[in-house]
Amino acid sequence: MEKTDDIKIKRGLDVLNSHKDSKLISHLNSCVHCGLCAKTCLYYLTTKDERFIPARKVELVSSIYRRYFTFTGRTFPGLVKARELDDKTVEEMVDLLYGACVMCGRCVQHCSIGVDIEYVVRKGREMLAEMGYVPGSLQSTVKAALETGNNMGISYEDFVDTVEWMEEELQDECNDTEARIPLNEHGKNVLYTLNPREPKFFPLSISAMAKVFYAAKESWTLSTNMYDVTNYAYFSSHPGEAKKIAQRMYDEMHKMKAKRLVLGECGHGVRSNRWEASNYIEKEFPFEAITSVELMAEYIRDGRIKPDKERIKDTVTLHDPCNLTRGSGVIKEQRYILKNCVNDLVEMTPHGTDNFCCGGGGGQLAMSEYNDRRLKIAELKIGQIRKTGAVIVATPCHNCIDQLIQINVTYNLNVQIKTLAEIVADSLPV
Amino acid sequence: MPTIEIEEKVFEIDGNGFLTKPEIWDGEVARLIAKYDGINELTDQHWAVINIIRNNYEEKGMAPMIRQICKGTGLKLRQIYELFPLGPARGACRVAGLPKPDGCV
Repeated sequence: MEKTDDIKIKRGLDVLNSHKDSKLISHLNSCVHCGLCAKTCLYYLTTKDERFIPARKVELVSSIYRRYFTFTGRTFPGLVKARELDDKTVEEMVDLLYGACVMCGRCVQHCSIGVDIEYVVRKGREMLAEMGYVPGSLQSTVKAALETGNNMGISYEDFVDTVEWMEEELQDECNDTEARIPLNEHGKNVLYTLNPREPKFFPLSISAMAKVFYAAKESWTLSTNMYDVTNYAYFSSHPGEAKKIAQRMYDEMHKMKAKRLVLGECGHGVRSNRWEASNYIEKEFPFEAITSVELMAEYIRDGRIKPDKERIKDTVTLHDPCNLTRGSGVIKEQRYILKNCVNDLVEMTPHGTDNFCCGGGGGQLAMSEYNDRRLKIAELKIGQIRKTGAVIVATPCHNCIDQLIQINVTYNLNVQIKTLAEIVADSLPV
Repeated sequence: MPTIEIEEKVFEIDGNGFLTKPEIWDGEVARLIAKYDGINELTDQHWAVINIIRNNYEEKGMAPMIRQICKGTGLKLRQIYELFPLGPARGACRVAGLPKPDGCV
């Protein structure tokens, strides 16, 4: 690790010293050390390592605050367990805040006094990001997005080629040569967005959603300039970089003159665009931003698509992406969709707002540094899926899907993993 | 630096099991990584996929689109997912000795 210096330390402390953030100060100083959060955290539950207890993560950031911004901490640091922001502290912060938190927010849900622990972790990450300590593999994903417009560095030509290929698939599936995946069309009702892993490696979810749009007779488009729903700077927590990425989506909506921004199946993409973006860019969205999950539920409710649940007879379970449920309040819609599209839906225990993270949240999937921990904490999800006896695991998040694909193989689960759009498309008679 | 040992050969890898020195890759390394993932034999179809990925990496420094893999091999998407159960990135790109691609993979 590169050593700290005065400039870095000042940058880190400035995050704690922002007068704009009264929320941070109250949440840094409110923990009553009851310990309830321990049993809500995947890391603690699967390892019993006390360092991973969420309150410990809050205490780490809080102890630095005390050291520099309180009278007793400045004068008698030892008395109030105040910590210097030095190399040792930074190393511990990187390991615990980046390397041992999926930012799932489950601890927040169970905190006896409502400390927003996840927010404190994000602020701790923000300190590290300002100091230049974002883990290399995570920063490389942010960098790709900043430099190329999408987090996998896909070129314009490659993107168009893949979309045209999926348009052919769509036409075959719908038996209609007029079925289309529109690109760069202005003034449409919907501007749809994707996770770049779809065009790069898993494009069938694009043709699946296109089939849903086709069936609903939607007026929609993709933009070749800005289709990336992700914002990895939300995970690295670098506000300047997060702002640049959020601003792009805002600008693209204006340029395309679309009515609704429809956020594809990506948990943090939904959260960062719908709830965080306005804070990043310090502007309200003058347009509607909804998730594709809500949109598909709307189509079914309004009778615009008519799924036939007899087409999917296998037992299906639902994995709730944390950023969609606890993070964005989308809870009933995915269940409404599945109840209309599959014959046999079995819920996991717990589910909804009390769900367990798949293990890949918080940027973990991008960070090679903590791979072993990521696979270890997945034990809880594996147990939950096994108990349902499901053959298909549906989840509206590409990040969760990738974690599930890996643990499916690692733990010999033998399930199929699908996006909600794929389930809905499969249930639609051609 | 984490390492991985397969059949008494030791490789330096990143935490995700991708080679940190892609230049040490050869056919034998591919066979060993595949075996570690439970692919006991690399068939001609596996090799067709691996070669396209490797060539693209050596020319452009990144993994190809799945589109190029399908075009170049004549295989269907679903066949590629079956050949490499961990998927094109964690499965095929790893066996082809590439560093981990960015993003949700």
